[in-house]
This record gives sequence, C-alpha cells and structure tokens, in this order.
Amino acid sequence: MLTPLLVIPLLGAIAIAILKPQFSRFLGGAFSLASLVWSLYLFSQFDLSLGGLQFSEFHRWIDPVGLNYSLGVDGLSLPLLALNSLLTLIALYTNRSNLERTRLHDSLILLINAGIAGALMAQNLLLFIIFYELELIPFYLLISIWGGEKRGYAATKFLLYTAVSGLLVLAGFLGATFLSQSPSFEFSDLQVQNLDLIPQLILLTTLLIGFGIKIPLVPLHTWMPDTYVEASPATTVLLGGIFAKLGTYGLLRFGLQLFPTAWQTVAPGLAIIGTVSVIYGAVSAIAQRDIKRMVAYSSIGHMGYILVAAAAGTELSVLGAIAQMVAHGLILALLFFLVGIVEKTTGTRDLGVLNGLMNPVRGLPLTSSLLILAGMASAGIPGLVGFAAEFIVFQGSFATFPIPTLLCIISSGLTAVYFVILINRTCFGKLDNDRAYYTRIGFSQQWPALVLTAIILYFGVQPNALLHWIEPTTNSLVVELHQPAIAQIATTNP
Amino acid sequence: MTTTLENPTAKIPPSTHKYADIIHRLEAGGSMLPDTEENLMQIIGIYKAYAVPMDFYWRDLLYIAERVFLDPLPFFKYFLPQEYLDLPNHYAGATADFRVWQKGEASAHPELLEFMDRGELKKKLPKLFHHLWHDRINMEFAEACMQAMLWHQGMGGQFYDYLESEEYLANCDRAIKAYFKGNPLMLGLYKLFPEMFYEKVRELSYYANLGLFWEVMAPVFFEMSDLYDEGKFKSVPDAMDFLVNGIFIAAGRPIYHHVYIGDECYEIIPKSKGFMWLYEAALPYVEAVFYRTAPFRGTKSYNAQAHQVPDEQKDFHYGILYADVFPVGTAGIPPTLLMQDMLHFLPPYLLEYYQNYCRGEDDMLIQLGITFQRSMYNVTSAVIQALRTALLYPLDDPNPEHLLKNRQFFEAQMDRFLRPEARLTDIQSQDYR
Repeated sequence: MLTPLLVIPLLGAIAIAILKPQFSRFLGGAFSLASLVWSLYLFSQFDLSLGGLQFSEFHRWIDPVGLNYSLGVDGLSLPLLALNSLLTLIALYTNRSNLERTRLHDSLILLINAGIAGALMAQNLLLFIIFYELELIPFYLLISIWGGEKRGYAATKFLLYTAVSGLLVLAGFLGATFLSQSPSFEFSDLQVQNLDLIPQLILLTTLLIGFGIKIPLVPLHTWMPDTYVEASPATTVLLGGIFAKLGTYGLLRFGLQLFPTAWQTVAPGLAIIGTVSVIYGAVSAIAQRDIKRMVAYSSIGHMGYILVAAAAGTELSVLGAIAQMVAHGLILALLFFLVGIVEKTTGTRDLGVLNGLMNPVRGLPLTSSLLILAGMASAGIPGLVGFAAEFIVFQGSFATFPIPTLLCIISSGLTAVYFVILINRTCFGKLDNDRAYYTRIGFSQQWPALVLTAIILYFGVQPNALLHWIEPTTNSLVVELHQPAIAQIATTNP
Repeated sequence: MTTTLENPTAKIPPSTHKYADIIHRLEAGGSMLPDTEENLMQIIGIYKAYAVPMDFYWRDLLYIAERVFLDPLPFFKYFLPQEYLDLPNHYAGATADFRVWQKGEASAHPELLEFMDRGELKKKLPKLFHHLWHDRINMEFAEACMQAMLWHQGMGGQFYDYLESEEYLANCDRAIKAYFKGNPLMLGLYKLFPEMFYEKVRELSYYANLGLFWEVMAPVFFEMSDLYDEGKFKSVPDAMDFLVNGIFIAAGRPIYHHVYIGDECYEIIPKSKGFMWLYEAALPYVEAVFYRTAPFRGTKSYNAQAHQVPDEQKDFHYGILYADVFPVGTAGIPPTLLMQDMLHFLPPYLLEYYQNYCRGEDDMLIQLGITFQRSMYNVTSAVIQALRTALLYPLDDPNPEHLLKNRQFFEAQMDRFLRPEARLTDIQSQDYR
C-alpha cells in the first residue's frame, strides 16, 4: 500500500529524465497527481479506530547492518504524506515561464517527493536517515541551479547545515540503538526508555539539535532566510511547505515517542526555545523590507508554536502541533507561491518599491486578494486553517506552560502586524505609473494558489475534517508520554 | 498659423528652461508632443474616437440649455429627441452656414446613430435599459467640463460678467416666468429665491457655451481623421497647424444662449452681444478643463488644511494635462466615462495598436486615456501657438527682440508644467502608455 508513494515519483523522475523536455511538465503533473490520488486513497482505507501504524510493510534488506525496508503510517505521517504530494504538484506548476533545463528541474522535484515520502513512512531508523539525507542533494541542486543571485552561497550554507543535521540525527539513532542493545534499527525494537535519564537526555539533545536545524529553531536558523530568499519559488514552496516539517515530524516521532521520560525533563526548556523562536521570528519579520524574507522569518515564528505544543505534551497540544504542521505547510506554500508571482511579475520583492497591486486594471488583483487571504490565514484569523491549528495549540499548551503560551498568543498579534505591513505596502496604495506595465497573470498560473486557498478555507471552516485523522495517533502518543509517570506512581504506591 | 522652421534659435541664445527642448520645438513651429509617426497615428485616431461622442455631447448640451431648461426633474435630459439628432451642424454638411470643413455631415454621425440604436450590447432594447446599464453615450463628462467652466470663471472674456448684468437677469426673468407659466408652486419659489433660479440659468448658459464650442470641434476632428486616412497629414505639427487654422477660422463665431418655450424663442444671451467662440468658449474651456478642473471624487484624497489643495483656483492643476490616468481609468468618474465613450469608436488601427501593448484589451481604457492626454497636449500646443500668433510675433520674425518676447511667452507657458504632477515629461517618451 505504501510502496507506490515511493515508486510513483521515482518512476516519474526517470521518465522525465529520459523523455523529451516538452513532456516534462505533463509527466511531472501526472506522476505527482497519481501520488496525490494514492495518498488520498490511503485516507479512505485508514482505520480511525487504530492509533498505531497502519499499512505496514516489512522486507529484510541488509540484515547484518539492521537495515530493513520497513514502512508504516499513522495519523502523524498520513496528512503530511498528502501534503507532500500536493505541494509537489503545486511546485511543478509554480512559475515555469522561462524555466530552463525543465527535465532536470522536474526530476529533482519528484526525487524530493520520494525522499520526503520515504522519510515520513520509514519505520527503520537507518532507512529514515537514507531518505532524510536523500532529498538534500536535489534541494542543493535546485537552489544552486535555479536560485537567485547568491544561490551558490545559499545552497552551500543549506547543504552544510542540513548535512550536520543529518549527522546529528544519525548519531542520535546510532547511540540509541547501541546503548539500548536493540537487535536492529527497527523503530519498534528500540527500548530506549530502559536507559538511565542522563544517556536519554544526551541522545534526545542530539536529536533535538539535529531536527532543530531542519525546523529551524532559533538559534539554529541562520541558513533558512538566505536559502528561502535565494531559492526559486517552486523550491521555496517545498522547503517551507514540507521539508521543514520533517524536523518537527522527527521531533514528535523520534524525540517525544522514543524518549518520553527525557522529553518531560527538557519540555520546559523546549517551550522556552519555542517561545523565543516565535517572538524572534515575528519581530524579525516586522523589520524586513524583502517580502520573501519576511515570509521566511514568519515561518520561524510559526514553527515555534509547534515546539511549544509538542513540549506541552498534552493530547490537545500534540493534536494542535500536528494540525499546525499541516496548516503551516499549506499557508506557507501559498505565501511563497504568491510572493513568487509578485517577484516574477514586478521584478522586485522590495516593500519600498511595491505598491498598488490591487489595481484591477494593471495590477495583480487576484494575486493580491489571495495574498491578503494567506496573510490572514497566517495571522490566525478565524475561518481559516491557521486559526483552528493555533487555537488548539494555545488551548492545549496553556495548562502546562501558561507564560510561554501567553507570549505566543501575544506574538500571534505581531504576525498580524507584519502581514498588515506587507499587505498594506504591497497591495494597497497607488500603483506606480512608472512601474505598472506588468504582464497579466492568467488562470493557468494561478490555479495552484486557488487550490491551496480552497483547502485553507475548507479546513478553516471544517477543521474536524483534518483533525479526526490525527486524533487517534495523538492519543496514543500522549499515552506513551505519560506511561513512565504512571508506572512511577504505580511503583511508589503499591 | 505656424510653419516648421529649420533653425529657429539661431538669432537668440538657447533657453535654459527645464523644458528647453520643448520650447525650442515650439519655436520651430512644433508641438509639445514629439513628432513621431506613432504619436500622429495615436492622436488622430483618438480625435476621431472623441469626435463621435462629442457629436452627441454638443447636441445634448444644447438640448438641455434650450429645451430642458429649468425642468425641476430632468430625468430624461440625456434622451436626445430626434429633432436634436437631426439638428444641422453649422460647420458641417451641405446646409452649413459656415462651411470650412468639407467632410462632415450636418446631422448626427452614422456611427453615433448606430451605437445609440443598439449600444455596446448590440441588441435593440428599450432606451431606458441601455441608459441604466450605462450602455450609452455618457453625458457625465460633458457636464463635468461645463461645471469646471462655470466654477472657475475669471479666465478672461466677458461672458461671465454678462451673466451678472441686469440685462441678463431681465432676460432670465422673462424666460423663467414663461417657462413656469401656470405653475404657481415654481413661480412662488422663484419669488422667494430668485438667485437660485438665476444661478441655474447661468449654469444652463454654460451648457450652451460648451455645446457651441464642441459644435465647432466635432467636424474639425472628423475632418482631421479623414485627412489622415487620405495621407494628407505627415507629422504632428501638421495636425497642430490644422487646429491652429481652425481656431482662427472659428474664432469669431457667436456664443449665445437661446431657450425655446412653446413656439417662442427667448434670447437669454443674444447673438448680438458679440460673444466670440475663441475668447468666451475655447480659451476658458482649455484653461478650465485641460489645466484646472477639480479633483474627481474617488480618485485621491486631498487635505486642504495641509495645503494639498491650492488656495487660489487659478493654481488648480487637476486637468487632463496633469491627470494620473491610472485611477481615472479604474473608477466610474467622468473621465473614465469619456474613455468608455471613446472606446466604442476607436478606429481599427488604434484598436490593433493597443492590443499589442501592455494588457491589450484589458487595459485599453488606460492606454486610450494616455493617448487622449497626448492628443490634448497637442491641442494645447495649438492654443499656445494661436495665442502667440494673435498676441506676439511670427516664429520667423527677423527681430531678435521679438523672438525673445516669443521665448518669454513660451517659457511662461512651460512654467505651468513645472509642477511634478504635469505629464509633459511623460509624453515625451513613447513608452508612457
């Protein structure tokens, strides 16, 4: 059931690489659509009464090393798999005018799709690492070939940071496996809870730093603004929309699930780091003049919510964390997509230059309208998916970490500040006569934004349509988290 | 009248004005608009597109001034009766009593009649439906021009002074009493508030004034379009010279205001007063509409307390020569409605031209608005050259002192475009669309 999610994009990448360039867009669209349809089919087969893994696949691969082809999905990974397929499709149709070397471009995007899907499904730690690292090279190439002026610098920085992230995660996995004397790298075989607290803390910290780079959390974030700004819009959609989510996915899957005891110990610190990320991201975004950089910093802030929610570790907060991963992926992809259109059409991202794009005759009225909606969604305006996710995060986290949660709530107000700045300067005001000779943006260039908007609206009005897939898994995750404490209570009160 | 001169500034030093190049061009008998084939094609095309609705404007303005008059509920003032569609133009057609321009027709232009019949919808529907759908010639622009002329006043001439005279008030009195004969309510109101009625008649006199001005201009523009089609215009100065000649030929034509009540004609402003087309209509029109007007609501907010609006009306600068066509092109305000009117009558070559630039059909209103701005710079150039001809010296005058006087005149005219809002610099570039 799960292998097609790896095979379809890989076959697509090969087909695109072999066939003529004029077919690459069609092939890319067809294969990513097939991947999306398959992930939606998985939803239809998903048993909501089960909290654990489903559709598991296991094949022995390299026994001496403990590497097996072991896949499975639950409510944490299934929505992200669908998001991955959707954003791949969106990325393939993002801003393709004058795109050179389309075959390589589209093949790389499909390879990324396969890599991320593999990481999300992998139930063997080494297999996870393989997929986790697999998408770095395509991303590096996408940034360094189709990126902006400083693409070389940005791509190298990205590669260095994320490679270190991978190494730290690998180190954490090796340590966990060897110290717990597990027979293989199978996730289900690991018994890390039996370790002393100190080794657990060391291993968890290693993973936290590794995944923290990927998210990225302050102060490990410095690769991110440069990379997001220099990458092409299609690459940024994938980077912000799904790539960064591998970090939070890793935290929940391998941090919270493997080290529940240590997690509770470090949770207050994580909440503080999350809150700092939220405030730092918001304040930095306010200070930006480049709209893409502004959106990039906003991402740091929004990823901070996920960490705070994960640290709180309640059923509701973890539910909110996963919902926020999906919501943020959708919103950020829409924002980067629209910023890409604005940049391509106007030739600038400078807030001091852009103005009046809402002008119905010579501006970009539909793009501007969607940008406003995306800004509202990001700011957590009710009726949009951002509100549903953030509200659950705040409600779920408040009881455990009231002050960090309050600070996050205040910072969500700052989100509105920088989006008002962005929208006010970009969309409103008078269109500058000297610059307003923009080409028309047709429906064929905007449909991905309309699709994302429709989903953001749908989940905003009907959040349960998203949450009920996640809920069984979060319940089981949180039970695991609190099991050590329950066991301790049981032993001290016989 | 002007002729293009080879070396006009040889006898006097070059101008140091910001617009020195344009001044030198004017001294050479040129226009403020650069002489390019593209500019010529654009302005002639837009003159033609302007002339068709103008043919409606002047007829309806006269209809309102002469027949609707003081109707307190003038709901149907834009529903031009056949009588006024057939009204012979004094300057066109076989029946013209002053025929200079040979091509035009006396009655309403065929394209106008066709549009009035079926509208943009290309369907024969009740007139009221076309009207409410704005599928019609929009008189709002013509009325805005009239209001600008009424409001600004003080632009030379004797016309407005006469509107304050006892003779004018006596003429008004007779017409008002005749119009409201048998209507005690309105006559009672007139007794109570006579100034209100006089002011309304003054406004109607400006309706007549503008109608008579455009009655001349419509056949001029039709003729220019036809001559261009025949290949008789080779340059922008050719077109400007044609306008200068037209101004002088029509300069002395009468401006008057007659009102028809029943079978009787009431001369509110008789022809015998000798008000001349050039001084009482053309020059005030150019000053009020091209230069001054007033900010249109819905385009931009001004803070008068912060002196964003000039204290003196003569310093107003909201006319087409300063207009920012972008907001004009996006709001339902009189200039937009004019552009909408012109859009229906664009010659094919101009339609094709617009489709090749910017957003083609989508922003054609803005493109033609900017063409209109170019063409009005050319008309203003004609007026400047006509004034220079009337008040100063020939461009090829051998006396350097006379040339310096001409230079000072041109520089004074160009000073009006030193404001940042002026589009004179923009129209020098073909890329301004």
